[in-house]
This record gives sequence, structure tokens and C-alpha cells, in this order.
Amino acid sequence: MLPLVGCLPPKPDGELVVANKSSLDSVDPVDVTTFAGTQLLSAIGDPLYASDPSGRTLPRLATALPQLSAGGRIARIPLRRDVRFHDGTRFDAAAMVFNLERFRALGKLGYLLDGRIETVRASGPYEVELQLKRPYSALAALLSSINLTPVSPAAYRNHAKRSLANRFVGTGPYRLAGYTPQHQKLAPFAGYWGEPPRNRGIHLVTLSNSTALFGALSSGEVDVLLSQGLESDQQRSLAERARRGRLVEGRGPAVEIGYLTLLSDRAPLNDPRLRAAVAHSLNRELISQRVSFNMRSPLRSLVPPPLPGAAPPPWPAYQPERARALFRQAGYCKGQRLSLPLTFRSNVPADRLFALTWQAQLQRDLDDCVQLDISGVESTTAYRQLEKGAFPMILLDWVGDYPDADVYLAPLLACETAQGNSCLKGSSVSFGSFWSAPGLQGQLQASEGLSGRARLAVLQAIQQRAAQGNAYIPVWQVAPRAWAQPWLAPPLFDGSGRLVLQALQRRPQP
Amino acid sequence: MSRRKDLLAYLASRLALVPVMLWLIASLVFLLLRVAPGDPIDALLGTRAPQAARDALRQQLGLDQPLLVQYGHYLADLLRGQLGESLTNQEPVTAVIGRSLPASLELGLVALLIAAVVGLAVGFSGIARPEGKLDLGGRLYGIGTYALPPFWAAMVVQLIFAVWLGWLPVGGRFPPTLEPPSGSGFYLLDSLLAGGGPPFWGALRHLVLPASTLGLLLSGVFANALRLNLRRALDSDYVEAARSRGLSERRVVLRHALPNALLPVLTITGITVASLIGGALLIEVTYSWPGIAFRLQEAISQRDYPVVQGIVVVVAALVVAVSVLVDLVVALLDPRISF
Repeated sequence: MLPLVGCLPPKPDGELVVANKSSLDSVDPVDVTTFAGTQLLSAIGDPLYASDPSGRTLPRLATALPQLSAGGRIARIPLRRDVRFHDGTRFDAAAMVFNLERFRALGKLGYLLDGRIETVRASGPYEVELQLKRPYSALAALLSSINLTPVSPAAYRNHAKRSLANRFVGTGPYRLAGYTPQHQKLAPFAGYWGEPPRNRGIHLVTLSNSTALFGALSSGEVDVLLSQGLESDQQRSLAERARRGRLVEGRGPAVEIGYLTLLSDRAPLNDPRLRAAVAHSLNRELISQRVSFNMRSPLRSLVPPPLPGAAPPPWPAYQPERARALFRQAGYCKGQRLSLPLTFRSNVPADRLFALTWQAQLQRDLDDCVQLDISGVESTTAYRQLEKGAFPMILLDWVGDYPDADVYLAPLLACETAQGNSCLKGSSVSFGSFWSAPGLQGQLQASEGLSGRARLAVLQAIQQRAAQGNAYIPVWQVAPRAWAQPWLAPPLFDGSGRLVLQALQRRPQP
Repeated sequence: MSRRKDLLAYLASRLALVPVMLWLIASLVFLLLRVAPGDPIDALLGTRAPQAARDALRQQLGLDQPLLVQYGHYLADLLRGQLGESLTNQEPVTAVIGRSLPASLELGLVALLIAAVVGLAVGFSGIARPEGKLDLGGRLYGIGTYALPPFWAAMVVQLIFAVWLGWLPVGGRFPPTLEPPSGSGFYLLDSLLAGGGPPFWGALRHLVLPASTLGLLLSGVFANALRLNLRRALDSDYVEAARSRGLSERRVVLRHALPNALLPVLTITGITVASLIGGALLIEVTYSWPGIAFRLQEAISQRDYPVVQGIVVVVAALVVAVSVLVDLVVALLDPRISF
């Protein structure tokens, strides 16, 4: 074995190895739906707009924010003139139209555009005009979705109606120099219009289990490790090492929320007092500490901070006595104990820990009132059963497609057909709560056309109503983290929670 | 009939069953996937997509058609040698298998070699002094390696040699900073043919831990099988007869007992190879080895029906082929076998 130990292949100077857990099935923006895919696209592609960590949306391939017509139905987007694709062809309005049309036709997330955009056309050589189905103030945020990164029409001529899984020709700071599902090689693109990468290349590698990921960073086999797929105790250990200076840590804005869905149109949780009691009984601080060692922050809003609309947190805080009073009002705690089923995704370790911890916490605090019966279901099966109302209470998570309050509120709360507080048809059914409130759908639609303070006020009002309904109970938010070897500068994240690969560099010498 | 004719008739009967077996397996996996909970559309889009988008994707992927129609298309494609396209990226399933099967075969063959060499050495070592220390140690080794949970053993090996000592890579199949060799998909062979050097050593370094773990875990089976069969052979009449003719113990063991004891081991080898083609899932997952079992596990979680069906059918075909081959070899080597 000794000769083998001494046979370490030389590492090219300046190239970095970045590891995460998910492998990739495709690099075509029309196919990508996973975090690993969007992480890669963010380095080899450029969206029209991008979010910074404070939640602001800034132009990237566009030169200014969308210029809206008086009625807000027509948006004109001016484009940069100095952008070339990796194959040397020029990026212009025709290329952007090709991409938007291609995404609408082929994109797995094509509904993001279909629900908003009526037509797309080039209104000039470097200007795109979008006709919207209705005014949408978060249009720039929508167009910051990395799935809308343009690809070269010349290179994709034969793939206008079919995805191209293993090649990518875009405009980003890196070009895709090698691809397998477990390894993508990124080489700096010499013709990049913006600031060139601060390293000489990136190798994105997949290791399929958290122990291997943790071990690979510890042994120096990889230079940077993303937190997705790592267990909480491993994240805590890495954070501790970073605190001692043995690693460096970077942290992005939280884009993932964990929340409970309560089935609101069937007994027992059709009683709003019981839903409120459940909301008051949840000790988020304790759970965050025990389950994630405080790596996940307690959350009392469906919109993760710092996005507008997240503050002030509208959901009830932990108040066991208030919960007891509500349980009593509903007829429990007087020798009668509510048996409350909680389903968790059995393939998500944190979910199981959450269920066990909350079960123990309720046993400690409200044993005479409520008993949590926990059971696990594999996630794909759970998603399938949600709209059938199969789970009285289930723990789920949600990541917005782009950083805006709308993509956290509308999917959970939208309802096409409602009867009182019951949703009969709509997104609220798909998410398993079957909850709505009179006028709520109108407020959601109104928020789309508003901007500034007026929009903020509506968003806060929507959250307030959702918090009173308690059909969803936010639990925690998950901020992405990355740890790097100590000779590297701390990793940086963009506003969409993705590691900025082109910013990875050696720590400047003092 | 002569023995050769008997053998050919036996081979023909086995081969005639192959299509039936493959049809049964293909139908079973088709049916089980549809009966199992979960939906490829949910796996692809999650819960986020509106119903219209889900319906559109279902139609685009042909999953809206009646089950019998889907089954008909599936069987027709199979007969034409087409395994379909992945639901997740429209990549031909043959390409998926072509990429991951060599990885599994490379791992499996090297592991089998390690298992055979170590297992036979351990099984043979105690034969000079039955119930002696070596024999007892060999028995314990056989039971121990057989009983160890592969996932746990792989994690411990990974932790010691990759994480703590840092001697070998934690996972993967090839150093990320090197260009993988092109050719057969067997990286060791391809890099050797390309001149060796860092690619060869890189491939070997990545192979050592998974192959050793798998090989050592399997070696107990070989050790116990050889030990038992050799003991039985040494107690048999023909060995007694050889001894009574004054042959040396070494000659008795090596020329008379060992060849007979190895025949059942050959059968075990065949079964082991068959199971290795299906993939040592836990080993592949632990070491992030991009083999066929690893890909199958991913495809199952994504409900990627064509990939699951294609992998199962191809693996089943290979398993059947290997088992027929082993039966034939054993039949050729052992004159006692009649058909």
C-alpha cells in the first residue's frame, strides 16, 4: 500500500476541488431542478438579473431593471452588448428570445414563465420585450432564476426542441470543460465580459454520503465543501473547526424553510383552536438546538429574512400555557388527550430528529393534553399523497425558485376555488393544507402588481392572516454554508444561496 | 447419446429458458414500479409545479397513456434492443448503462480476485492441522467477514485509511484533477494501455479501498467453502486409497483432494459474480463509486422508470449468462454430473 500512498497525483496550481452530495443528471437549464444543478449553472451561466446577499436584485446580462409600460403589462429589458457565448457567438436579444421560448417549451420549471408571460420578442438588437399576463412587480427577481441563463442558439440549434444533457455553451465566467454526473470540470472562460474568476478552475465532485464528504475535507482531498447533504453534527464540527482557525467558513442567506403543514379541513385539525395550540406548543429554540445544534435558525415567518415581508415574524411564539388553554377550550386536557399524528420524511435525517425531539418536548410540557404519534414516509411517496389529504400534520421544506416573498407565499397559500376557509382547488391543496381565507387569493394577486411599501404592507397582511390560520407553521430556516481549507479566503454566497465559485481564491498573504 | 450431445441438449434447454426468464423479469419490474408508491412527475418537479405543468410533463413523457399501452411500447422497444430514454434527462438508457456497468464490473472483478486469493489462502491454511490455531483462526475469519455489515465495514475502513490516515481517497473513481482515460470504461485497463503513469496510479488508488473492502467481506465465503469441501474430500475413500498407496500427504492434498474441493467453490464463484454484477450497492454508495447499483439506487429514488427497467433487465441478462456459463464449466470439469 505504501507505494500507492506516495502516488498522489499532482494538483494543478490554482485549481480547486469543491464537493457536494448530489450528482447531476443534466446540465441543460431546461432540465435542472436540483441544488447541485443550479449551483453549477450559476458558475457557467449568467441570468439577466442576480440577487445580492442583502436581497437586492441587480442587472447582470441586462443593463437596467425592466422598464414597465404604464399598465405594467409590457416590460422592456435592455441587454449588455459586450457578451459572448463560450463558442464565441454573440449574445443579443434574438439569443435571449430563443432561450426564453426554449425554456417555455422544454423547461421542467417552464410554468414559472408560462403563468406570467404572454409573449416574448426582440424589440431591438439588444432589447427584449415581454408581454405579461398581468402586472408582476417581482419580474426582475423571476428573471434572476438561474434556469433562465441563456445558451448559445448556434450550439443548441439541433436541441431547440430537445434538451442537451452533457454539454453547456453559455455566457458564464467558466466554461464546462468536462462532464460526468459525478464530476464537472470548469475552466475560466477567457472571453468573459465581467470580472474573471479568481482561481484557475474548479472541479465540482460528488461524494454520495455525508461521512465521505466530511472525511474528504478533513483529509484535504477537497478544498471546499458545501453544507448540503451534511448531517447537523458534522456541520457543527466543521463550524467549530472554523472557529479555531483550522478551516474557513462562509454563510449564505437562508433560502430554505422548514414548516409544518396541518390538514385544516378535516378533524381534528379543522378546529382553529387546536391549530393555534399546536403553533404555541412548538419550542423552536429548543428544537433548533437539539436537532441542528443551532445550525438551523428558528423561523416564525414563511418568508425567510432578509427578503421583504419577512419581518415582523407573525407566527405565535412558544407559549405552553397558552397552548394548554387552547387545548382545554377544544375539550382536551381534562382526562382526554389529543392523539396527533405527525408524519416526517424518513429519508431526511433532520426530519426524524425533529419528530422525536418535538414528541419529547410535548411529553414534557403538555403530556396531559396532547400526544404526538410519529411515523415516517419516504419523501417522494409523501409528496404524492399530500393533495389527497393523507397527512394530518407533516414536516416539509421549501426553497423558492428565486429570492422573492411571492415564491414563498403564493405556492403555499394560493387557492383557485375556496369555500369558507377550505380550499377546494389550488396550490394550497397540492401542499396538503387545504386552507384558505376569504379574500386571501385577492391579496396574493394584488401583491403581484404592487411595489415598494404598498407591496410590503400587503405581504405582511398576508402573512398575518396565514399565521392566524395556522395551517402552516414555520419551524426553521436553513442557511447554506461552505467550509474551505484555511489557506483559502472565506467562501462567498450570492443572494440565491449559491456559492460564488469564481470568488474562491487563496487567502491574501499578510 | 454421447456426453457431448447431452451437454449440448442441456445447454439448449437452458438457453431456451432465457427469453422467458427475461420477459418475466422485465414484466415484473415494469409492474412493480407502477404499483410502488411515488410518481416520476413528483420526483422531477416536487410539489411546486401547478397541475397543468404536471399534466403537460406527464403527457410529454408518455406517462398519461394506459398502462397496457405503455407495457406494449416497452416490450416492443425491448425486442428491438432499445431500452428507452431516462425521464430525467432524455439520455438513452444504454448510454447510462454503458457508463456505469464497466465501473461495477471493474470493482467486482478486482474484489472477486481479492476474495478468491485471500479466501482460498485462509481456507487452505488450516488444513494441515484441523482444529489447530490456524484452522480456528480461519473459521473465525470466515464467520466474521460474512457477518460484518458491509455498510459499517466500509465506513470504518473509509474512516481509518482515508480520513484519519489520509493514505487513500475517500471516494470516487478517478482523481478529479486528471483526465479520465477513454476506451473500454475500465479505467485501470484503459490507463495502463495509455501508458500508465498518474492516471493508472490514480485509478488504482481509488479502487483499493472499495475493492479490498468488498473482496475481504466476500473472502469468508470462499474460505469456509474450501475448508469444508477440502475436509470432506480428505475424509473420502479415494483419498484414503491414495494414502494407502503411500503417496505423500502433500501430493494427496494437492493432486487428489484439492481439485475436487474446488468444484463447489467454482459454483460459489459463479453465484458471487452474478451478485456482483447486480452491484454491491452499499459499497458503491459508501465509496461514491459510480457503478450500476449506485445508478440504480438513484433511478429508483427519482422514479426514473426506463433507467430502472433497463438496468434490471441488463443485469438479469448478465446474471443468467454467467450462471449458464458456470453450470457448463462445472459440467465439463466434473464427469460425475449427468444431465
